[in-house]
Amino acid sequence: MGEITEFLTLMIPAMVPFLLAAQGTVLSGRAGVFNVSQEGLMVLGAAIGFLVSFKVGSNTVGLFAAFAAAALFGLVLAYMTTQLRLDQFVVGLALYFAALGAAGLLYREVIGVTMAPPLIPTLDDYPIPLLSEIPFLGEVLFDHDLVVYAAFLISAGIYWFMYKTRSGLAFRSIGENPKAADSLGINVTWARTWSTVVGSGLVGVAGAYLPMVYTGLYTEGMVAGRGWLVIALAFLGGWRPHLVVAGAAFFAGMEVLALRAQVAGIGIPHQFVLMLPYVATLLVMVFAFRWARQPAFLGRNYDRESRLVG
Amino acid sequence: MTTQQPPRLEMRRVVKTFGPVVALDSVDLVVARNEVHGLLGGNGAGKTTLMNVLYGLYRPNSGEVLLDGEPVTVGSPRDAIDAGVGMVHQTFLQVDNYTVTENIVLGTDVSGALRLDLDEARKRIRELSTRFGLSVDPDAVVEDLPVGVRQRVEILKALYRGARLLILDEPTTNLTPQEVDDLFGSMRAMVDDGMSVVLITHKIRETLGVCDRMTVMRDGRSVETIERSDTDADHLADVMVGGTTGPGELIDAAALGAVDAEEVEVTVSSVRDAVGVSVQGLVVNNDQGHELVPGFDLEIREGEIVGIAGVAGNGQVELAEALAGVRAVRAGSVEVGGRSMCGRPASAWLDHGVAYVPEDRHRDGILPTASITENLVLGSQRSPGVRRHGLLDWGAAKQRAVEAIEQFSIRANGPATPAGDLSGGNIQRVILARAFARRPRMLILHNPTRGLDLGSTRFVYDQVRVATDAGCAILLLSEDLDEVIAMSDRVIALFKGSRAGEWQKGTVDAYEVGRSMTGLGEARV
Ligand SMILES: Nc1ncnc2c1ncn2[C@@H]1O[C@H](COP(=O)(O)OP(=O)(O)OP(=O)(O)O)[C@@H](O)[C@H]1O
Ligand SMILES: [Mg+2]
Repeated sequence: MGEITEFLTLMIPAMVPFLLAAQGTVLSGRAGVFNVSQEGLMVLGAAIGFLVSFKVGSNTVGLFAAFAAAALFGLVLAYMTTQLRLDQFVVGLALYFAALGAAGLLYREVIGVTMAPPLIPTLDDYPIPLLSEIPFLGEVLFDHDLVVYAAFLISAGIYWFMYKTRSGLAFRSIGENPKAADSLGINVTWARTWSTVVGSGLVGVAGAYLPMVYTGLYTEGMVAGRGWLVIALAFLGGWRPHLVVAGAAFFAGMEVLALRAQVAGIGIPHQFVLMLPYVATLLVMVFAFRWARQPAFLGRNYDRESRLVG
Repeated sequence: MTTQQPPRLEMRRVVKTFGPVVALDSVDLVVARNEVHGLLGGNGAGKTTLMNVLYGLYRPNSGEVLLDGEPVTVGSPRDAIDAGVGMVHQTFLQVDNYTVTENIVLGTDVSGALRLDLDEARKRIRELSTRFGLSVDPDAVVEDLPVGVRQRVEILKALYRGARLLILDEPTTNLTPQEVDDLFGSMRAMVDDGMSVVLITHKIRETLGVCDRMTVMRDGRSVETIERSDTDADHLADVMVGGTTGPGELIDAAALGAVDAEEVEVTVSSVRDAVGVSVQGLVVNNDQGHELVPGFDLEIREGEIVGIAGVAGNGQVELAEALAGVRAVRAGSVEVGGRSMCGRPASAWLDHGVAYVPEDRHRDGILPTASITENLVLGSQRSPGVRRHGLLDWGAAKQRAVEAIEQFSIRANGPATPAGDLSGGNIQRVILARAFARRPRMLILHNPTRGLDLGSTRFVYDQVRVATDAGCAILLLSEDLDEVIAMSDRVIALFKGSRAGEWQKGTVDAYEVGRSMTGLGEARV
């Protein structure tokens, strides 16, 4: 296997956590809800995904459980911000800590302290018939587990919804000018609620994927800041699903590179490589801020009867 | 049909409170079919609130709404739209980076929700815009459009949804006279088409020109409904200011928008010999870095009012901001009271007595979430009156706010009210109170009476007089030609950032100014 083929083949699954979590973030963000609890939701997703898979014996059930748990947190975020109009950042940070705590507690309750850490089977690869036969491309793109395909399909689906449907047009308008949307009969609260619930669920799945793909093990620090990177990724992609795919490729590429640099023992401290995504995001924000635009009402709550918005 | 047709709209005993503020105190309103119904009343009278209730944006405490005789419950704008009500708000509600078509179709046609086929919509929009004389380019992005066109987009939004009743909340404040005429033409076409229109305005001339009937509101109540045929300008003016007789005739002429305002005698002039402001070779760029004012000379004497007439976008904002010290000057000099001001920070201009009332009050004029007190103290936080031991003396600041609320009759629930909660006209009063309180040496007023009711307009003119008597040099930039002509000692027509004509008081011909403003006149400098 060539050097490049191998790199890309590793990069594609590494994209999955970024993709799922960032698309989830973008989804609620375009309706104006700025979720900042990704890191916590991913850790929670990883713990629940792992534990349920372990107990039930099915990774699929584990993935759905992770979705449900994170979606529940999303519901809390939606309720607190749309109904009680609490500050989105404050609630998001509180949820981050709550999810982190819940994850640790659950693992301890269910598994306890063991000598040999429990193991779950990793996800099977499903080469797509015919497509996976294509030289190079087949190997890189069409010989992965099902979650990989799902992540790309979900990205495409969100893009299609946002830019190719009337509902998507209406949906995006909420993040730009909720008062205008409301005055045209678009249900702001409903759109913010479902997108935050679904978006958070996707973040949970992104976390659950981690123990299922590489080792079958759950370790406490396995999310390793990816949740924070996802926020940077949403900005880097200008809150647009198609650009987020490109950004996810970049972040995943960095990750694989850092790993290999570490393995090969190259002189550069791998911390520098780990910094690269953040630096890239900053540079893009500085130099391409027009392109990296964000929803005008991102992070702001909407109150119909208040004159203080709009 | 034997029975009489029910009116298009009937609102009965509508009550709406915001905390302790009673905005609507049992209001009744009846709008007939096929009529343009004027909704008049002072700032903060409750006009916008009443219409927001009708449109489902505000939930009333109590009251009934009937459309074509049917009782309806309007819990949200969706309900209002479904019931055939459309509303054009005082500030545009548009998604800036969407096209005209996208803005218009937003939220419609749920059956085609999973497609984005806008051809059909584009066709409908073209059709509607020809039928009602509202020309727009369906594919333009709204943020690139001038206000007049954005206004039409707002109206088309309502028409596209098949509104039977259209509410227009002060639609003419941003329009040129020609655009106002066009709008009224469109309104007539709608009424002929079977619709009813509610028009909120402060301008008597507009009311008389287009309304069939009008309802006057005061302090959250509807005081009376008048037939067009039973009234005239004087009567309406009386009703609108609540029967109190105002000061001089000159003021009236300007406030009423009489075309022949210049015929009114000027008795006293407060212009002194000393030069208050001297501007030489002023060059200013706009936000995009284009040179919008290519060398402007101006001298304003103490106590003099110089009026700048012009169509919006001809460099007024840039000129005003440069003279207020809040926009960088590319070249030239500005002297105020003999002191050269260019290159000094904005705070130095303020301290030297330069006061500025900006045109875009929501963006540049106030901090919406800050209280009235805080907004009033802005910019003078360093002045001795409100300082104690190097800190702000909030007691004194609050005292000032209470006085300003009293003096400028700001309709608010005390000095702690957030400025953004105020009605449009009352926000303007806060800004004016702040500017006049400084006893300025130079005062720059940009559209100072836009959105103000008759009484407040008079009040502003009175304050301007007081300031000029004290020797203040005033630059008045306004799109309201009548106002400029009636108020100014000297009128300058501005076209593309340059002087296209200048007239002394008494020699002004409105039509000539109008031609110069649009670049058609011969320069007469
Ligand atoms: N969302 C709100 N929150 C608090 N107070 C409000 C709100 N909306 C309106 N009010 C208050 O209700 C009163 C009526 O305001 P409204 O905007 O209806 O006046 P208006 O007649 O439209 O005046 P204007 O001519 O200045 O636009 C004012 O005292 C205003 O401060
Ligand atoms: Mg109003």
